[in-house]
Amino acid sequence: MNAPSPIISLRDVRRDYALGAEQVHALQGVSLDIDRSDYVAIVGPSGCGKSTLLNLIGVIDQPTAGTVTIDGRRVDSMSDREATQFRLRNIGFVFQRFYLMPILSAVENVALPMAEAGMSRGERVDRAAGLLSYVGLANRQRHRPSEMSGGEQQRVAIARALANSPALLLADEPTGELDAKTGAEIISLFQKLNADGTTLVVVTHDEDLASAARRKVHMRDGKVVDG
Amino acid sequence: MRAALAKASLVRHRARTVLAILGVAIASAMLLDMVMLATGMRESFRELLLTRGFQLRLAPKGTLPFDTDATIADVSGITATLRRNPDIREISPVLGGSIHVPIGGRDVSASVLGIDPSVQGDYELQSGRDVLEADAIVVNDRLLRALGRRIGDTIRVATGYDPQTRSYSGQRNLVITGTVRFLYGASDQSGSAVRRETLLQMNAQSPTRAGDRASLFMVRARQGADAEQVRGWIEAQLPNVSAISIATAIAQVDQRLSYFRQLAIILGAVSLFVGFLLVTTLVTVSVNERAGEIAVMRAIGVSRSHVVEQVVMEGLVISLVGALVGLALGLVTARYLNSILSAFPGLPMAIDFFLFQPKAAWSALGLVIASGIGAGVYPAFRAASLPISQTLRREAIA
Amino acid sequence: MLLALTLSFFLTQDSTVSDPRSSTETRTRTIAIDEVLAEQAHLRVGDRVTVSPTPDGLGDTVVVGAIVRRGADPSEVARGDLRVWMHLDQLQTLSNYGDRVDRFAIETKHGADVPGLIERINNVAFGFRAYRSRDIAVETSRTFQVVSRFHRAIGIITIVASSVFLLCIMVLKVEERRRDIAALRLMGISRWTVVRAIIAEAALIATLGSMLGIVLGWLISLLVNSHYQAVYRTPLAFSIVTPPIVIVAVALSLVLGITAGVAASLRLVRQPPLALFGR
Repeated sequence: MNAPSPIISLRDVRRDYALGAEQVHALQGVSLDIDRSDYVAIVGPSGCGKSTLLNLIGVIDQPTAGTVTIDGRRVDSMSDREATQFRLRNIGFVFQRFYLMPILSAVENVALPMAEAGMSRGERVDRAAGLLSYVGLANRQRHRPSEMSGGEQQRVAIARALANSPALLLADEPTGELDAKTGAEIISLFQKLNADGTTLVVVTHDEDLASAARRKVHMRDGKVVDG
Repeated sequence: MRAALAKASLVRHRARTVLAILGVAIASAMLLDMVMLATGMRESFRELLLTRGFQLRLAPKGTLPFDTDATIADVSGITATLRRNPDIREISPVLGGSIHVPIGGRDVSASVLGIDPSVQGDYELQSGRDVLEADAIVVNDRLLRALGRRIGDTIRVATGYDPQTRSYSGQRNLVITGTVRFLYGASDQSGSAVRRETLLQMNAQSPTRAGDRASLFMVRARQGADAEQVRGWIEAQLPNVSAISIATAIAQVDQRLSYFRQLAIILGAVSLFVGFLLVTTLVTVSVNERAGEIAVMRAIGVSRSHVVEQVVMEGLVISLVGALVGLALGLVTARYLNSILSAFPGLPMAIDFFLFQPKAAWSALGLVIASGIGAGVYPAFRAASLPISQTLRREAIA
Repeated sequence: MLLALTLSFFLTQDSTVSDPRSSTETRTRTIAIDEVLAEQAHLRVGDRVTVSPTPDGLGDTVVVGAIVRRGADPSEVARGDLRVWMHLDQLQTLSNYGDRVDRFAIETKHGADVPGLIERINNVAFGFRAYRSRDIAVETSRTFQVVSRFHRAIGIITIVASSVFLLCIMVLKVEERRRDIAALRLMGISRWTVVRAIIAEAALIATLGSMLGIVLGWLISLLVNSHYQAVYRTPLAFSIVTPPIVIVAVALSLVLGITAGVAASLRLVRQPPLALFGR
C-alpha cells in the first residue's frame, strides 16, 4: 500500500524581493513535505524566512521559483482569483496580531469567511456560535474585540480560521502578543485541534509552542537546516 | 455582510462621516441650484409666453415687444392681411402707453395697455368685470392702492402730461370695473388696461401717438399649424414688422442672459468636482487606515471585488444621503437666490430664474451619486490590490 | 426706429437743415453711428443712408460722418441697441418732437457748488428737475445692483461651502496621521506643541493655496474680461482684482485654514495616545 501523499509539498522554492536598493533572498531553495494531520512548528532566528515560508504555504504570496503543492493542487502560479478562493475554502490563517475586524462582534468576525463562501445567514450564525463554543467563548459571542482580552481575541481568530472547515491551519507567531498563561491556553487549543484531525503549521519563537508540535523544522538564512 | 461592514465603518467615525455628508450635501445643493439656474429662465419664460397660447408676437421692425416706444400703424389693415392666412386663428393687437391720474394734488402714473378683451392675453381677471364698455378700466392691486380707490369708482385719466405747463391731455372719465394680474408685469409696476379704441381716442390729440396704432400683435396659430411657417409668411406680407416666435424670443433672452447660464455651468462643474474630491479623500483615508484589515480580509479569502464593493458602498452611502440633504438645501437656497434676481427692474413677476424641473434635478443628483461611486472605486481597488504579505508585514511594524 | 439723442458729441457742421417735405435740398447733413451698427450694416464713413422715425422709409438722406467707439457704459451691456448721433435740430424735426429735449447734461466749472446750483435750478424749474449725474447713475443701475447682490450671495455661499470642505478635508488628513500624533504624545510632546505644528502646517498650506488662488483668480479675471468684452463689444471691465480683494481673500483663507486645522487637531490631541493606536 502506498503512503498517503503529503498535504503540503514544496520543491526547491525560492523567494526573493527588493528592499530599497537591495535584493533580499528570503528563501533559498526550500524543499519540504508536511503530512496530513501533522503538527509542524517552523522555528529559527528572526529573518530566517519562517514567515515568508508560511505565506507561501498560505497562498498569500508566490515563490520566485520552485513549486508549492497543497492537497494535490499546484498553488504557486494561481491567479489572484483562484488563490483567493483556495484560501477561503482550504486554508485557515491565524496571525500574531489577531487582526479581527474591530467593528464586528465575535460571532460576526467568525461568520465573515462563511458569508464570503456563500453560506446562508442562519447557517453561518449557527456554525459561528458553534465554533466559538469549541474554542471556549460561548458566552462572548456579542462582544467586540475591544471588549476582549488578547487570549480571547486570539481564540476568536482561531475560530474564524476554522470557519470553512479548512484542510490546513497556519499560524504565524500566534502566542507572540500573549502572556505565558494565555499562551498556554492557545497551545492547548492547538493540540485539541490537531487531535481532532486538523493539519497545523505554526511559525514561532515560543519554545513551549514549538515543543507541543509533533515535528520541528529548523530554518536558518532562508534554508531548512533540520526537520 | 458587506453592507454591514460598510455601515459599521461609517458609524465608527461619526464626526468624519457627518462632515463628509455635509460637504457632499453642499456640493449637491450648489449643483442643483446651478442646474435650476441654467434652464430656469428659459423654461419659465417659455411657459409664460405660452400661457395664453399665442405662439407669435409682431413688433415694430427691428425691435422686441415693448423694447421701445415705437408703434405699428394701420392696425385694421394689418389685421385684415393676417386674417387672409387660414393658419392664423386669433389676432390680439395691444397698444402700450402710460396714464396719469391727478389725485389729491399729486399725479399717479401707471402703464396702460389698450386691448381687445375678447382676445387679450396680457392679464387675468382677479375680481370685478373686464373692460366690456368703452369707459371701463381695469387695474392691478398696486395701482388700486396707489389711487386709494375701489371697484366701481370713477377716475379722471389722462394719457398725456406736460410737466412744464402741468397740464393733462387726452383726459377721460373711466370707471374701475375690476382688478387684474398682469402676466408680463413686473412686481413694482402699476398697471392698467382699457379697450384699445378707448386708448386710441384718448391719444387722438397727441401728434406722436395719434392714429390706428398698436405696440404689439399677439397671434395664435390654429392647432397643428407650423408656427415658423406662419412667421415667415407674416414677415413676407408685412415688411414693417418683426414676427417673433417663441423660439426666437427665447433665443433673444438666452443671448441677453447668457452670463447666468455660463456661470451656472462653471459653478455646477466646480461643485461636482469638489464633491467628487471630498468622497475620494474620505475613501482614500478610510482604506489607508484599514490597510491591515483589508489585507487580512484578502488573506482569509475575501475576493478583491467584494472588498471593493464594501468600500464603494461607503462612498455610495455618503453620496446618497448627502444628495438627499442637498436636495432640500438646494431648494431653500434657490428660493433665496431667486428672490434676489427677481428684483431685476422690469422683469415680469411670473419669471423665475431658478425653476425646479424634476427630470433635470434628478439627473443632477444622480450625477452626484454616480460620482460618489466613481470616487470610491479607484482607492478601493488600489487597497484591495495591495500585496497581502507585504501589507501585513508593514502593518505589523507600524 | 427711435433715435437716441446726445449732446456730448460734436460733429463738423455741414449745410443748412434739410426739410424732408421740401423738394429743395442743399448739402446733405452728417450723422455719427456706433461701431456695432457700422459693422452690422457694413457702413463706412462717407456712406449715404436714410434716417426715418418709421420703418416706411420716408426721411432724411444723411452721410455717415463718423463712427463712434462704444464707451464703458454698463447700461449698454446686454442690450442690442444700435446708436446714431444726429444734430439736435434735425432730430427734432424728423421725429416731430418740436423744440424739446429729453434732458440737458451740464458740465460745471471746477470747484463749482453743485448742490447749490441744483437747488437754485429746482427752485425756478418749471416742468423739469435737476439731479446729480451720480444720483441718476445709482437709480438707473438697479440692474447691476441686483447682479451685485446675486454675486455677493454666491460669494457667501461659496465661502460657507469652502469652510465645510476645508474642515472635512483637514479632519481626514489629520486623522490619517493619528499614529504619528500618538507616537509624539507618547514621547512626551505636549498637546499644545502638536496643535501648533498642525496650525503652522495649515497656515502654510492656506497661504500657498490662497496665493495660487489669487494667481488663478487674476488669470480667470483676464479671461472673463476678454470674453465678455468681445461678446458685448464693450471696453467695460466685468471683473477686477483689486488689492483689498486680495487682502480679504488671503486673510479669509488663513482664518478658515487655521480654524479647520485647530478643530481637526484638537479632536485628536484630546484622546489618550494609546486610544489613537487603537488600543
